[in-house]
Amino acid sequence: MPAILPRFLRSPATLIASGLVLGGFLLAGLDWRFLLLAAAGAFGPGVLRELGWLRDKDELELQAARRAGYHAFLVGGLLTFTLAAFLRAGEGAAGTTAPREHLSSLADTVLAAMWFTWLVSSLLAYWGPRPTARRLLWAFGAVWLAFNLLAGEGDWRVSAMQALLALPFLLPAALASRLPRAAGVLALAGAVGCFLFFGLQDVFTEPRALNRSVVLVLFVGPLLAAGLALLGAHEE
Amino acid sequence: MKPRHDIVSHLKARRLAAGGMTQQELADRAGVTRQTILSIEKGKYSPSVGLALRLAQVLGATVEELFALEDE
Repeated sequence: MPAILPRFLRSPATLIASGLVLGGFLLAGLDWRFLLLAAAGAFGPGVLRELGWLRDKDELELQAARRAGYHAFLVGGLLTFTLAAFLRAGEGAAGTTAPREHLSSLADTVLAAMWFTWLVSSLLAYWGPRPTARRLLWAFGAVWLAFNLLAGEGDWRVSAMQALLALPFLLPAALASRLPRAAGVLALAGAVGCFLFFGLQDVFTEPRALNRSVVLVLFVGPLLAAGLALLGAHEE
Repeated sequence: MKPRHDIVSHLKARRLAAGGMTQQELADRAGVTRQTILSIEKGKYSPSVGLALRLAQVLGATVEELFALEDE
C-alpha cells in the first residue's frame, strides 16, 4: 500500500492539527463546544501560515493549498447559496423556519463539502490524478473499513457484513495501478450503487434526509472523484 | 488575450550533468521537497524566480540554462 499522506500532510504542524480535529470530534460527544478544538485544528495552521508565523511548506505545497482553498471557497459558496435559496423558498411556502437539526445538518454538509474539495484539489495538484485516485481509495476504504468493523460492536457477523461497505473503495484501489480504467469504471459504479443503496436521492427532496448528506459527500464523493480521475487522466 | 508563457524545463538534464545528483539531494540543497523537483522536471510546475535562481546556484548554471520559454 503506498504512503497515503504526502510529506506536507505529515509535518508536525499537520499532525498536531489532526490530533486537535480528532480530539475535538471525540470530545464533542461530551460537549458540542469542543468542536471549536476541531475548528482550531482544521483552520489554525492555514491562518498561521498566512500570518507568516508557520513556515512548514515549500512553494509548490503552498500553491497547491491556496488553489485548493479557492476551489473549496467556490464549492462552499455555491452550495451555501443553493441551500439558502431552497431553504428560504421553503420558508415562504410553508410559513415556517428550518428546524434546528436541519440547520446543523446544513452546516455539516457545507463543512464536509469544503473539506473534501480542499483535500482532493490539493492532492491532485501535488500528485496528479492517478496517484491521487489510488490513495483516496485506499485512505477512505481504510477509514470506512475501520468505522464499519467498530460499528459491529463485537459481533463478528455484523462486523463482517458491515465491512463489505469498504469493498467499493478497496477493490478499485487494488486494481488502480495495473488496470486504471477498469478501476475507474468500478469506482464510478460503486458511487452509483452506494448512492442508491443509501437512498441518498432523498437528500434533495426530503428535509429529514439532510443528515445523510455528509455520507453523500464522504462516501460517494471519494468514489466519484477517484473514478473520474482514473478515467480522465492521461498515461503517466 | 494575454499571451501564455509555457516554460520548458532542462532541469533534469542539468541535474544529471552535475554529477548525477539525485532529486532528493537537489531538493535538500534548494530547500524544497523532492515532489517539487519532480513536478518542475515534468513541466507540471513553473518555479518562482527565487527558486529558479536557487536551483541555478546549486547546479552552477544560469536560469536561462535551466528554463526557457516554449517558443524559444
